[in-house]
Amino acid sequence: MRQNIAKTFSVALMFSLVIGVSGCAKTPPVTATYQSQQIADPLEPVNRAVFGFNNVLDEALIEPVAKGYNALLPRFVRDAIRNFMRNLQSPVDVANDLLQGRIKNAGVATARFVINSTVGIAGLIDVATKKGMHYRDEDFGQTLASWGVGNGCYLVLPVLGPSTLRDATGTFVDGYADPFRLWTTNTGREGLYYAREALQGLDTRSRLIKPIDDMRKNSLDYYAAARSAYIQHRNALIRANDPQAAGAAPQGLGSDHP
Amino acid sequence: MKMLSGLRPDGSRSLAFFAVSFCTAFLSFTAPVAAKTLPPAAEFVQRLGDTALMSLTDKHLPRKTREERVRKILEDNFDVKAIGRFAIGPYWRQATGAQRKEYMKYFEDLIVETYTSRFEAYSGQTLKVYGARPSGDTDYIVDSKVLQKTAGPIELQWRVRKEDGGLRIVDVIVAGVSMSFTQRSDFMSVIQNEGGLEGLISSLRKRHEENRG
Repeated sequence: MRQNIAKTFSVALMFSLVIGVSGCAKTPPVTATYQSQQIADPLEPVNRAVFGFNNVLDEALIEPVAKGYNALLPRFVRDAIRNFMRNLQSPVDVANDLLQGRIKNAGVATARFVINSTVGIAGLIDVATKKGMHYRDEDFGQTLASWGVGNGCYLVLPVLGPSTLRDATGTFVDGYADPFRLWTTNTGREGLYYAREALQGLDTRSRLIKPIDDMRKNSLDYYAAARSAYIQHRNALIRANDPQAAGAAPQGLGSDHP
Repeated sequence: MKMLSGLRPDGSRSLAFFAVSFCTAFLSFTAPVAAKTLPPAAEFVQRLGDTALMSLTDKHLPRKTREERVRKILEDNFDVKAIGRFAIGPYWRQATGAQRKEYMKYFEDLIVETYTSRFEAYSGQTLKVYGARPSGDTDYIVDSKVLQKTAGPIELQWRVRKEDGGLRIVDVIVAGVSMSFTQRSDFMSVIQNEGGLEGLISSLRKRHEENRG
Protein backbone atom coordinates (compact mmCIF):
# COMPACT_ATOMS: atom_id res chain seq x y z
CA MET A 1 0.00 0.00 0.00
CA ARG A 2 2.65 2.41 1.10
CA GLN A 3 4.65 1.35 -1.91
CA ASN A 4 1.79 2.18 -4.23
CA ILE A 5 1.25 5.62 -2.74
CA ALA A 6 4.92 6.41 -3.02
CA LYS A 7 4.98 5.14 -6.56
CA THR A 8 2.00 7.22 -7.61
CA PHE A 9 3.47 10.23 -5.92
CA SER A 10 6.83 9.99 -7.59
CA VAL A 11 5.28 9.27 -10.95
CA ALA A 12 2.99 12.27 -10.75
CA LEU A 13 5.79 14.51 -9.55
CA MET A 14 8.23 13.71 -12.29
CA PHE A 15 5.98 12.88 -15.19
CA SER A 16 6.58 15.99 -17.21
CA LEU A 17 10.34 15.63 -16.90
CA VAL A 18 10.24 12.04 -18.13
CA ILE A 19 8.10 12.86 -21.15
CA GLY A 20 10.74 15.27 -22.28
CA VAL A 21 13.52 12.75 -22.05
CA SER A 22 12.08 9.38 -23.01
CA GLY A 23 11.74 10.53 -26.58
CA CYS A 24 15.45 10.08 -27.10
CA ALA A 25 15.82 6.90 -25.08
CA LYS A 26 17.63 4.18 -26.94
CA THR A 27 17.71 0.48 -26.22
CA PRO A 28 21.15 -0.94 -25.58
CA PRO A 29 22.03 -4.06 -27.55
CA VAL A 30 20.46 -7.24 -26.23
CA THR A 31 23.40 -9.43 -27.04
CA ALA A 32 26.99 -9.00 -26.11
CA THR A 33 29.78 -10.63 -28.02
CA TYR A 34 33.48 -10.55 -27.32
CA GLN A 35 33.87 -7.80 -29.89
CA SER A 36 31.13 -5.68 -28.30
CA GLN A 37 32.94 -5.89 -24.96
CA GLN A 38 36.07 -4.22 -26.29
CA ILE A 39 36.91 -0.63 -25.54
CA ALA A 40 39.12 1.86 -27.30
CA ASP A 41 42.15 2.71 -25.19
CA PRO A 42 44.14 5.40 -27.01
CA LEU A 43 45.50 6.66 -23.70
CA GLU A 44 46.85 3.24 -22.73
CA PRO A 45 50.37 4.42 -21.78
CA VAL A 46 48.98 7.10 -19.46
CA ASN A 47 46.28 4.77 -18.16
CA ARG A 48 48.84 2.10 -17.40
CA ALA A 49 50.93 4.60 -15.46
CA VAL A 50 47.93 5.74 -13.39
CA PHE A 51 46.86 2.11 -12.93
CA GLY A 52 50.32 1.33 -11.63
CA PHE A 53 50.16 4.24 -9.22
CA ASN A 54 46.70 3.18 -8.00
CA ASN A 55 48.01 -0.30 -7.45
CA VAL A 56 50.89 0.84 -5.31
CA LEU A 57 48.52 3.04 -3.29
CA ASP A 58 46.06 0.18 -2.97
CA GLU A 59 48.57 -2.39 -1.80
CA ALA A 60 50.24 0.01 0.61
CA LEU A 61 47.17 1.65 2.09
CA ILE A 62 43.69 0.99 0.78
CA GLU A 63 43.68 -2.80 0.75
CA PRO A 64 45.14 -3.15 4.26
CA VAL A 65 42.59 -0.65 5.60
CA ALA A 66 39.77 -2.48 3.81
CA LYS A 67 40.95 -5.80 5.23
CA GLY A 68 41.07 -4.27 8.69
CA TYR A 69 37.58 -2.91 8.19
CA ASN A 70 36.33 -6.41 7.34
CA ALA A 71 38.16 -7.98 10.26
CA LEU A 72 37.15 -5.36 12.80
CA LEU A 73 33.46 -4.94 12.08
CA PRO A 74 30.97 -7.80 12.03
CA ARG A 75 29.03 -8.33 8.84
CA PHE A 76 25.76 -6.86 10.14
CA VAL A 77 27.49 -3.59 11.03
CA ARG A 78 29.14 -3.38 7.61
CA ASP A 79 25.82 -4.14 5.97
CA ALA A 80 24.12 -1.42 8.02
CA ILE A 81 26.77 1.09 6.95
CA ARG A 82 26.29 0.11 3.32
CA ASN A 83 22.50 0.34 3.64
CA PHE A 84 22.79 3.76 5.22
CA MET A 85 25.00 5.08 2.45
CA ARG A 86 22.91 3.58 -0.30
CA ASN A 87 19.87 5.23 1.22
CA LEU A 88 21.64 8.57 1.30
CA GLN A 89 22.37 8.09 -2.38
CA SER A 90 18.74 7.30 -3.26
CA PRO A 91 17.82 10.70 -4.71
CA VAL A 92 20.57 10.26 -7.29
CA ASP A 93 19.25 6.78 -8.18
CA VAL A 94 15.68 8.08 -8.54
CA ALA A 95 16.77 11.01 -10.69
CA ASN A 96 18.71 8.68 -12.99
CA ASP A 97 15.82 6.21 -13.26
CA LEU A 98 13.60 9.09 -14.33
CA LEU A 99 16.15 10.45 -16.77
CA GLN A 100 16.28 6.98 -18.30
CA GLY A 101 12.50 7.01 -18.58
CA ARG A 102 12.23 3.94 -16.32
CA ILE A 103 9.25 5.00 -14.26
CA LYS A 104 8.79 1.68 -12.53
CA ASN A 105 12.40 1.63 -11.34
CA ALA A 106 12.06 5.21 -10.13
CA GLY A 107 8.94 4.23 -8.21
CA VAL A 108 10.71 1.30 -6.57
CA ALA A 109 13.73 3.45 -5.68
CA THR A 110 11.47 6.14 -4.20
CA ALA A 111 9.47 3.62 -2.20
CA ARG A 112 12.74 2.10 -0.96
CA PHE A 113 13.89 5.54 0.18
CA VAL A 114 10.62 6.25 2.03
CA ILE A 115 10.40 2.83 3.69
CA ASN A 116 14.07 2.46 4.58
CA SER A 117 14.33 6.03 5.92
CA THR A 118 11.43 5.42 8.29
CA VAL A 119 10.81 1.75 9.08
CA GLY A 120 14.45 1.01 8.31
CA ILE A 121 15.67 3.54 10.89
CA ALA A 122 17.38 6.23 8.80
CA GLY A 123 18.35 3.68 6.19
CA LEU A 124 20.37 1.38 8.44
CA ILE A 125 18.13 -1.60 7.73
CA ASP A 126 17.13 -2.48 4.20
CA VAL A 127 13.50 -3.35 4.94
CA ALA A 128 12.44 -2.71 1.35
CA THR A 129 14.53 -5.56 -0.10
CA LYS A 130 12.77 -7.99 2.25
CA LYS A 131 9.52 -6.75 0.74
CA GLY A 132 10.75 -7.54 -2.75
CA MET A 133 11.86 -4.02 -3.68
CA HIS A 134 15.42 -4.58 -4.76
CA TYR A 135 18.24 -2.09 -4.89
CA ARG A 136 19.47 -0.99 -8.29
CA ASP A 137 22.79 0.70 -8.72
CA GLU A 138 22.10 3.71 -10.94
CA ASP A 139 24.34 6.53 -12.08
CA PHE A 140 24.51 9.16 -14.77
CA GLY A 141 26.98 7.10 -16.79
CA GLN A 142 24.26 4.46 -17.22
CA THR A 143 21.74 7.18 -18.01
CA LEU A 144 23.98 8.52 -20.77
CA ALA A 145 24.31 4.96 -22.07
CA SER A 146 20.52 4.61 -22.16
CA TRP A 147 20.44 7.73 -24.28
CA GLY A 148 22.76 6.04 -26.75
CA VAL A 149 26.02 7.69 -25.63
CA GLY A 150 28.95 5.35 -26.14
CA ASN A 151 31.83 4.78 -23.73
CA GLY A 152 34.19 7.09 -25.51
CA CYS A 153 37.56 5.77 -24.45
CA TYR A 154 38.86 3.91 -21.45
CA LEU A 155 40.20 6.00 -18.58
CA VAL A 156 41.94 5.10 -15.36
CA LEU A 157 41.31 7.82 -12.80
CA PRO A 158 43.77 8.46 -10.00
CA VAL A 159 42.58 6.70 -6.81
CA LEU A 160 39.08 6.09 -8.25
CA GLY A 161 40.30 3.53 -10.76
CA PRO A 162 38.80 2.20 -14.02
CA SER A 163 36.29 4.41 -15.84
CA THR A 164 35.50 5.68 -19.30
CA LEU A 165 35.04 9.12 -20.75
CA ARG A 166 31.28 8.64 -20.40
CA ASP A 167 31.35 7.13 -16.93
CA ALA A 168 33.76 9.75 -15.60
CA THR A 169 31.39 12.44 -16.88
CA GLY A 170 28.58 10.57 -15.12
CA THR A 171 30.50 10.41 -11.86
CA PHE A 172 31.11 14.14 -12.03
CA VAL A 173 27.45 14.96 -12.77
CA ASP A 174 26.16 12.62 -10.04
CA GLY A 175 28.49 14.21 -7.52
CA TYR A 176 27.51 17.68 -8.63
CA ALA A 177 23.77 17.04 -8.36
CA ASP A 178 23.90 14.94 -5.21
CA PRO A 179 21.60 16.59 -2.62
CA PHE A 180 23.87 15.37 0.16
CA ARG A 181 26.82 17.18 -1.37
CA LEU A 182 24.75 20.32 -1.91
CA TRP A 183 23.52 20.24 1.67
CA THR A 184 26.96 19.68 3.17
CA THR A 185 28.69 22.30 1.07
CA ASN A 186 25.95 24.88 1.65
CA THR A 187 26.11 24.45 5.39
CA GLY A 188 29.88 24.32 5.77
CA ARG A 189 30.00 20.58 6.38
CA GLU A 190 32.29 19.60 3.51
CA GLY A 191 34.18 17.33 5.87
CA LEU A 192 31.07 15.19 6.21
CA TYR A 193 30.79 14.86 2.45
CA TYR A 194 34.39 13.74 2.03
CA ALA A 195 34.03 11.36 4.96
CA ARG A 196 31.08 9.74 3.24
CA GLU A 197 32.93 9.50 -0.06
CA ALA A 198 35.86 7.84 1.68
CA LEU A 199 33.62 5.44 3.57
CA GLN A 200 31.80 4.56 0.37
CA GLY A 201 35.10 3.78 -1.32
CA LEU A 202 36.16 1.70 1.67
CA ASP A 203 32.88 -0.22 1.61
CA THR A 204 33.24 -1.01 -2.08
CA ARG A 205 36.88 -2.02 -1.74
CA SER A 206 36.18 -4.18 1.31
CA ARG A 207 33.74 -6.24 -0.76
CA LEU A 208 36.25 -6.78 -3.56
CA ILE A 209 39.14 -8.21 -1.57
CA LYS A 210 38.90 -11.70 -3.06
CA PRO A 211 38.09 -10.88 -6.70
CA ILE A 212 40.86 -8.28 -6.94
CA ASP A 213 43.37 -10.49 -5.17
CA ASP A 214 42.38 -13.30 -7.50
CA MET A 215 42.77 -11.23 -10.63
CA ARG A 216 46.14 -9.86 -9.51
CA LYS A 217 47.43 -13.37 -8.94
CA ASN A 218 45.92 -15.16 -11.90
CA SER A 219 46.13 -12.74 -14.79
CA LEU A 220 49.20 -12.33 -16.94
CA ASP A 221 48.43 -8.70 -17.74
CA TYR A 222 46.45 -7.37 -14.79
CA TYR A 223 45.79 -4.05 -16.53
CA ALA A 224 44.17 -5.71 -19.56
CA ALA A 225 42.15 -8.12 -17.40
CA ALA A 226 40.86 -5.30 -15.15
CA ARG A 227 39.93 -3.19 -18.17
CA SER A 228 37.92 -6.04 -19.65
CA ALA A 229 36.22 -6.86 -16.35
CA TYR A 230 35.27 -3.21 -15.80
CA ILE A 231 33.69 -2.83 -19.23
CA GLN A 232 31.80 -6.12 -18.98
CA HIS A 233 30.47 -5.24 -15.55
CA ARG A 234 29.31 -1.80 -16.68
CA ASN A 235 27.69 -3.26 -19.78
CA ALA A 236 25.86 -5.79 -17.60
CA LEU A 237 24.52 -2.98 -15.38
CA ILE A 238 23.35 -1.09 -18.45
CA ARG A 239 21.77 -4.21 -19.94
CA ALA A 240 19.96 -4.90 -16.67
CA ASN A 241 18.22 -1.52 -16.93
CA ASP A 242 16.45 -2.65 -20.05
CA PRO A 243 13.65 -5.08 -19.24
CA GLN A 244 13.91 -6.65 -22.69
CA ALA A 245 17.63 -7.19 -22.49
CA ALA A 246 17.68 -8.17 -18.83
CA GLY A 247 16.05 -11.53 -19.49
CA ALA A 248 18.47 -12.35 -22.28
CA ALA A 249 21.37 -14.64 -21.71
CA PRO A 250 24.41 -12.88 -20.30
CA GLN A 251 27.05 -12.27 -22.94
CA GLY A 252 24.48 -12.83 -25.62
CA LEU A 253 24.17 -15.51 -28.23
CA GLY A 254 26.04 -16.31 -31.36
CA SER A 255 29.25 -18.10 -32.11
CA ASP A 256 31.49 -15.60 -30.38
CA HIS A 257 32.04 -17.83 -27.38
CA PRO A 258 34.53 -20.50 -26.47
CA MET B 1 18.60 -16.81 7.26
CA LYS B 2 15.94 -19.44 7.45
CA MET B 3 16.44 -20.01 3.76
CA LEU B 4 20.19 -20.31 4.04
CA SER B 5 19.99 -23.15 6.51
CA GLY B 6 18.08 -25.15 3.93
CA LEU B 7 20.76 -24.79 1.33
CA ARG B 8 23.53 -26.97 2.70
CA PRO B 9 24.60 -29.62 0.25
CA ASP B 10 24.18 -32.35 2.86
CA GLY B 11 20.67 -33.46 2.15
CA SER B 12 19.01 -31.09 4.61
CA ARG B 13 17.67 -29.30 1.56
CA SER B 14 15.75 -32.31 0.31
CA LEU B 15 14.59 -33.00 3.84
CA ALA B 16 13.27 -29.46 4.14
CA PHE B 17 11.67 -29.83 0.75
CA PHE B 18 10.06 -33.08 1.78
CA ALA B 19 8.68 -31.45 4.93
CA VAL B 20 7.27 -28.55 2.94
CA SER B 21 5.79 -30.87 0.32
CA PHE B 22 4.24 -33.00 2.99
CA CYS B 23 2.61 -30.03 4.73
CA THR B 24 1.36 -28.62 1.46
CA ALA B 25 -0.17 -31.95 0.49
CA PHE B 26 -1.70 -32.38 3.89
CA LEU B 27 -3.24 -28.93 3.92
CA SER B 28 -4.55 -28.70 0.40
CA PHE B 29 -5.26 -32.32 -0.61
CA THR B 30 -5.76 -31.18 -4.17
CA ALA B 31 -2.38 -30.20 -5.53
CA PRO B 32 -0.34 -33.25 -6.48
CA VAL B 33 3.15 -32.86 -5.08
CA ALA B 34 5.84 -33.73 -7.55
CA ALA B 35 9.46 -33.35 -6.57
CA LYS B 36 10.70 -30.27 -8.41
CA THR B 37 13.60 -31.40 -10.53
CA LEU B 38 16.16 -29.09 -12.06
CA PRO B 39 16.78 -29.14 -15.82
CA PRO B 40 19.69 -31.44 -16.79
CA ALA B 41 22.18 -28.59 -17.31
CA ALA B 42 21.38 -27.17 -13.86
CA GLU B 43 21.55 -30.63 -12.31
CA PHE B 44 24.96 -31.07 -13.94
CA VAL B 45 26.34 -27.86 -12.40
CA GLN B 46 24.90 -28.62 -8.98
CA ARG B 47 26.45 -32.07 -9.07
CA LEU B 48 29.80 -30.58 -10.07
CA GLY B 49 29.56 -28.10 -7.18
CA ASP B 50 28.76 -30.86 -4.71
CA THR B 51 31.54 -33.10 -6.02
CA ALA B 52 34.06 -30.26 -5.83
CA LEU B 53 33.05 -29.43 -2.26
CA MET B 54 33.32 -33.04 -1.23
CA SER B 55 36.63 -33.94 -2.81
CA LEU B 56 38.63 -30.69 -2.96
CA THR B 57 38.08 -28.76 0.24
CA ASP B 58 39.73 -30.97 2.84
CA LYS B 59 42.32 -28.76 4.58
CA HIS B 60 44.78 -31.63 5.05
CA LEU B 61 44.88 -32.70 1.42
CA PRO B 62 48.45 -32.65 0.05
CA ARG B 63 48.90 -30.08 -2.73
CA LYS B 64 49.68 -32.76 -5.28
CA THR B 65 46.56 -34.82 -4.53
CA ARG B 66 44.37 -31.76 -4.65
CA GLU B 67 45.93 -30.77 -7.94
CA GLU B 68 45.30 -34.20 -9.45
CA ARG B 69 41.67 -34.12 -8.35
CA VAL B 70 41.18 -30.62 -9.74
CA ARG B 71 42.62 -31.74 -13.06
CA LYS B 72 40.30 -34.74 -13.20
CA ILE B 73 37.21 -32.66 -12.40
CA LEU B 74 38.31 -30.00 -14.88
CA GLU B 75 38.82 -32.51 -17.71
CA ASP B 76 35.55 -34.31 -16.96
CA ASN B 77 33.35 -31.22 -16.74
CA PHE B 78 34.91 -28.38 -18.73
CA ASP B 79 35.70 -28.11 -22.42
CA VAL B 80 39.23 -26.95 -21.69
CA LYS B 81 40.22 -27.09 -25.34
CA ALA B 82 37.39 -24.81 -26.47
CA ILE B 83 38.13 -22.36 -23.65
CA GLY B 84 41.83 -22.34 -24.48
CA ARG B 85 41.23 -21.89 -28.19
CA PHE B 86 38.84 -19.03 -27.55
CA ALA B 87 41.33 -17.27 -25.29
CA ILE B 88 43.78 -16.69 -28.15
CA GLY B 89 41.15 -15.95 -30.79
CA PRO B 90 42.55 -15.69 -34.31
CA TYR B 91 46.03 -16.77 -33.19
CA TRP B 92 44.90 -20.38 -32.80
CA ARG B 93 44.54 -20.75 -36.55
CA GLN B 94 48.01 -19.36 -37.16
CA ALA B 95 49.68 -21.51 -34.53
CA THR B 96 51.79 -24.53 -35.48
CA GLY B 97 50.96 -27.96 -34.10
CA ALA B 98 53.83 -27.73 -31.62
CA GLN B 99 52.74 -24.27 -30.45
CA ARG B 100 49.15 -25.44 -29.94
CA LYS B 101 50.27 -28.39 -27.90
CA GLU B 102 52.59 -26.34 -25.72
CA TYR B 103 50.06 -23.56 -25.26
CA MET B 104 47.28 -25.96 -24.27
CA LYS B 105 49.52 -27.69 -21.76
CA TYR B 106 50.45 -24.48 -19.96
CA PHE B 107 46.92 -23.14 -20.28
CA GLU B 108 45.50 -26.17 -18.51
CA ASP B 109 48.24 -26.05 -15.90
CA LEU B 110 47.38 -22.41 -15.18
CA ILE B 111 43.73 -23.26 -14.60
CA VAL B 112 44.57 -26.29 -12.47
CA GLU B 113 46.97 -24.27 -10.33
CA THR B 114 44.50 -21.40 -9.98
CA TYR B 115 41.68 -23.64 -8.82
CA THR B 116 43.91 -25.73 -6.58
CA SER B 117 44.87 -22.56 -4.73
CA ARG B 118 41.25 -21.45 -4.54
CA PHE B 119 40.15 -24.72 -2.98
CA GLU B 120 43.15 -24.66 -0.64
CA ALA B 121 41.81 -21.37 0.69
CA TYR B 122 38.27 -22.74 0.94
CA SER B 123 36.27 -21.18 3.77
CA GLY B 124 32.80 -22.69 3.85
CA GLN B 125 31.20 -21.50 0.60
CA THR B 126 28.41 -23.57 -0.92
CA LEU B 127 26.87 -23.55 -4.38
CA LYS B 128 23.13 -23.26 -4.93
CA VAL B 129 21.83 -23.75 -8.46
CA TYR B 130 18.51 -22.20 -9.42
CA GLY B 131 17.79 -23.22 -12.98
CA ALA B 132 18.88 -23.19 -16.60
CA ARG B 133 17.73 -21.50 -19.77
CA PRO B 134 18.77 -22.22 -23.34
CA SER B 135 21.15 -19.82 -25.08
CA GLY B 136 21.50 -20.47 -28.79
CA ASP B 137 21.23 -23.97 -30.22
CA THR B 138 23.80 -25.75 -28.13
CA ASP B 139 24.26 -23.80 -24.90
CA TYR B 140 22.50 -23.31 -21.59
CA ILE B 141 22.99 -20.56 -19.08
CA VAL B 142 22.79 -22.00 -15.57
CA ASP B 143 22.01 -19.53 -12.78
CA SER B 144 23.55 -20.10 -9.38
CA LYS B 145 24.73 -18.41 -6.23
CA VAL B 146 27.77 -18.95 -4.09
CA LEU B 147 26.75 -18.62 -0.46
CA GLN B 148 29.41 -17.41 1.93
CA LYS B 149 29.56 -17.22 5.68
CA THR B 150 31.13 -13.80 6.12
CA ALA B 151 29.75 -11.90 3.13
CA GLY B 152 26.72 -11.71 0.88
CA PRO B 153 26.02 -14.26 -1.86
CA ILE B 154 27.78 -13.98 -5.22
CA GLU B 155 25.79 -14.50 -8.39
CA LEU B 156 27.43 -16.95 -10.72
CA GLN B 157 26.33 -18.07 -14.17
CA TRP B 158 27.67 -21.02 -16.11
CA ARG B 159 27.64 -21.46 -19.85
CA VAL B 160 27.09 -25.18 -20.39
CA ARG B 161 27.33 -26.78 -23.82
CA LYS B 162 25.72 -29.96 -25.10
CA GLU B 163 28.53 -31.93 -26.75
CA ASP B 164 28.98 -35.43 -28.04
CA GLY B 165 30.45 -36.63 -24.79
CA GLY B 166 27.74 -34.97 -22.69
CA LEU B 167 27.51 -31.57 -21.04
CA ARG B 168 30.61 -29.40 -20.72
CA ILE B 169 31.17 -25.99 -19.13
CA VAL B 170 32.70 -23.41 -21.46
CA ASP B 171 32.40 -20.21 -19.39
CA VAL B 172 31.74 -18.88 -15.91
CA ILE B 173 30.19 -15.44 -15.51
CA VAL B 174 30.41 -13.44 -12.27
CA ALA B 175 28.46 -10.19 -11.93
CA GLY B 176 28.23 -9.91 -15.71
CA VAL B 177 31.94 -10.57 -16.14
CA SER B 178 32.77 -13.57 -18.30
CA MET B 179 35.93 -15.38 -17.29
CA SER B 180 36.53 -16.40 -20.92
CA PHE B 181 36.21 -12.85 -22.19
CA THR B 182 38.46 -11.49 -19.46
CA GLN B 183 41.05 -14.16 -20.09
CA ARG B 184 40.98 -13.52 -23.81
CA SER B 185 41.54 -9.78 -23.26
CA ASP B 186 44.38 -10.65 -20.92
CA PHE B 187 46.04 -13.07 -23.35
CA MET B 188 45.50 -10.88 -26.41
CA SER B 189 47.22 -8.02 -24.65
CA VAL B 190 50.20 -10.24 -23.82
CA ILE B 191 50.34 -11.49 -27.42
CA GLN B 192 50.32 -7.93 -28.73
CA ASN B 193 52.79 -6.50 -26.23
CA GLU B 194 55.17 -9.39 -25.61
CA GLY B 195 56.01 -10.61 -29.07
CA GLY B 196 53.17 -12.75 -30.35
CA LEU B 197 52.04 -16.22 -29.41
CA GLU B 198 55.57 -17.25 -28.45
CA GLY B 199 55.57 -14.39 -25.95
CA LEU B 200 52.31 -15.63 -24.43
CA ILE B 201 53.56 -19.20 -24.22
CA SER B 202 56.74 -18.12 -22.47
CA SER B 203 54.68 -15.94 -20.07
CA LEU B 204 52.51 -18.94 -19.26
CA ARG B 205 55.59 -21.11 -18.80
CA LYS B 206 57.11 -18.55 -16.47
CA ARG B 207 53.90 -18.37 -14.44
CA HIS B 208 53.80 -22.14 -14.25
CA GLU B 209 57.34 -22.24 -12.92
CA GLU B 210 56.52 -19.56 -10.35
CA ASN B 211 53.48 -21.52 -9.23
CA ARG B 212 55.63 -24.59 -8.86
CA GLY B 213 57.75 -22.48 -6.53
